[in-house]
Amino acid sequence: MKKIVLLILFIFILSGCNKNDMYDKTLFYMDTAIEIKLYDVDEEHANKALSDIEKMYEKYHKLTDRYNEYEDVINVYYLNNVLKVNEKIEISNELSEIINYGIKMYDETDGYINIAMGNVIDVWKEYREKESGVPNLYELDKPIDISYISLTDNIYLKKKDVKLDLGAYVKGYVTELVGKYLEDENINKYLINAGGNVKLGNKYRLKKYNVGLEEPFNTSNIYKTLSVENVSIVTSGSYQRYYEYDGNIYSHIINPKTLFPDNYTKSVTVITENSAYADIMSTYLFMLPIEDGLKLVNEKEGIEAIWYSDQIYYSDSFDKYEQK
Amino acid sequence: MNKSDFILILILSTVIFIFYLFLNDKKSYAYVYYENNLIKKIDLKKDDIYKVNGYNGEVIIEVKDNKLRVKKENSSLHLCSKQGFVNNIPIVCLPNKIVIDFNNNEYDVVV
Amino acid sequence: MDVKKISKISMLLSISVVLSLIESIIPIVGIIPGIKLGLANIVVLYILYTMTLKDALYVSILRVILVGILRTGLFNITFLFSLSGALFSLIFMFLFKKITKLSIVGISIIGSIFHSIGQIIVAIILLSNINIIYYLPVLLFSSIITGIVIGLCTNNLIKLKNN
Repeated sequence: MKKIVLLILFIFILSGCNKNDMYDKTLFYMDTAIEIKLYDVDEEHANKALSDIEKMYEKYHKLTDRYNEYEDVINVYYLNNVLKVNEKIEISNELSEIINYGIKMYDETDGYINIAMGNVIDVWKEYREKESGVPNLYELDKPIDISYISLTDNIYLKKKDVKLDLGAYVKGYVTELVGKYLEDENINKYLINAGGNVKLGNKYRLKKYNVGLEEPFNTSNIYKTLSVENVSIVTSGSYQRYYEYDGNIYSHIINPKTLFPDNYTKSVTVITENSAYADIMSTYLFMLPIEDGLKLVNEKEGIEAIWYSDQIYYSDSFDKYEQK
Repeated sequence: MNKSDFILILILSTVIFIFYLFLNDKKSYAYVYYENNLIKKIDLKKDDIYKVNGYNGEVIIEVKDNKLRVKKENSSLHLCSKQGFVNNIPIVCLPNKIVIDFNNNEYDVVV
Repeated sequence: MDVKKISKISMLLSISVVLSLIESIIPIVGIIPGIKLGLANIVVLYILYTMTLKDALYVSILRVILVGILRTGLFNITFLFSLSGALFSLIFMFLFKKITKLSIVGISIIGSIFHSIGQIIVAIILLSNINIIYYLPVLLFSSIITGIVIGLCTNNLIKLKNN
């Protein structure tokens, strides 16, 4: 009998113990907190991986930084503010690839993802910091045409003074690289949360990862719970970065077609394997009418989405990700 | 009381001690569950009042000085509102099917 | 069952009901739910040591039902809660009494802790929420203390009866 009692006690004790072999770290890059958790890995391996991951985020933070220059790095700040129109410069492979990804996505998203929107984004940023007023069309009349950018064999050139802004997908892009790195290192159970850009590896326990989706403008409420593994999850919402003026909400995502932060939903969350793609798609869907977004997602394979608007809209197979 | 009794007490004390090791890190959030569903995540750093819907009606939760209590709820014995301010043991409002906990075992990430 | 036995059980039943009701009024009870003195357990423990398991079962179950009628309501969650605590407690007290060498105080502690464990298990099932288990250490701690107190009381009661 005593043995049975001891066994029961042992089980109680073990129930608290699933944190073994989990290593985590929080970083601050790209203006956001980045949380990384690695499961089922030994200390040495974990520490090396976390250190490598930090270097990756740091590298891309510097490369895509719009507001700071760094010694020995040709980065976005340099291309936007130092490089002269029609002047050529050689950039690194990494910067070239991430810019090319953006250029490719311009075509795939019908121009809604436009990395040359820097000038207009800057105008809105000023107003958002003032928290009052709205720019007029004259102020927004700045060069944003992506065709002014030329990038061939790592040689970058701009034909007019367009400014790059990679914010629509840089977090997702780097997170995807980090995911690939971890898988190459045989660390398959991981959780990355880069300021809302989530990438998950294999599950580390019996249950899959439990992910809660926050209600826009009321984020202490969880309106949906997901049970998932091996996916990326990204949400775009007007509640993430906005200002209110004269009764209207102005979000930080600027619609390239209207030059205003127009959107048709309070938030949209995209679930798909590739983190960069999830980031792109969530930004894109945010700017589309929900009907169009639903059609788009349902036509594609391997991507699901949920919209939080006047009501909640689901793509066709979204329910496979919901917690039962 | 005999020797067996003391052994029993010893075993129980050990279990309690081990549990306390898990309970003792400082908590910054409280998680409100209705049955198995997380319905609210509460930041303990901000003094505030929250309202959630329990099985018997509205449940009012108060946060003050990094602690939380159930201020008002509908039930025959009002056990959970009598509990007062806590920040480490769960508050269970059984008739309302509400559990307020400080360990987020249920959620790996909330976005 | 003869008349003498029936009246004895009825007496004990009423005492345990009254003890339950008194307990729910005392303010100490309110501080943390689930923590109670368990005064009614004195009766159950007494019966376990002086009469049969069946008698103890009758009194336990009937007590929960009567208290339900008088106080908490029948067949609601609180009722289920009380019932599970009482049954768990009684079964394990009986088992431990049979198999181990614990004294009446030890058995009382067992009754106390399994009452708590029973309630936690039912709460976890009814609310589908495993986090309630973090409640256990607090309950276990108070169970040890109340178990000792109740055990000593019952022990003295039985000594008095035998003299």
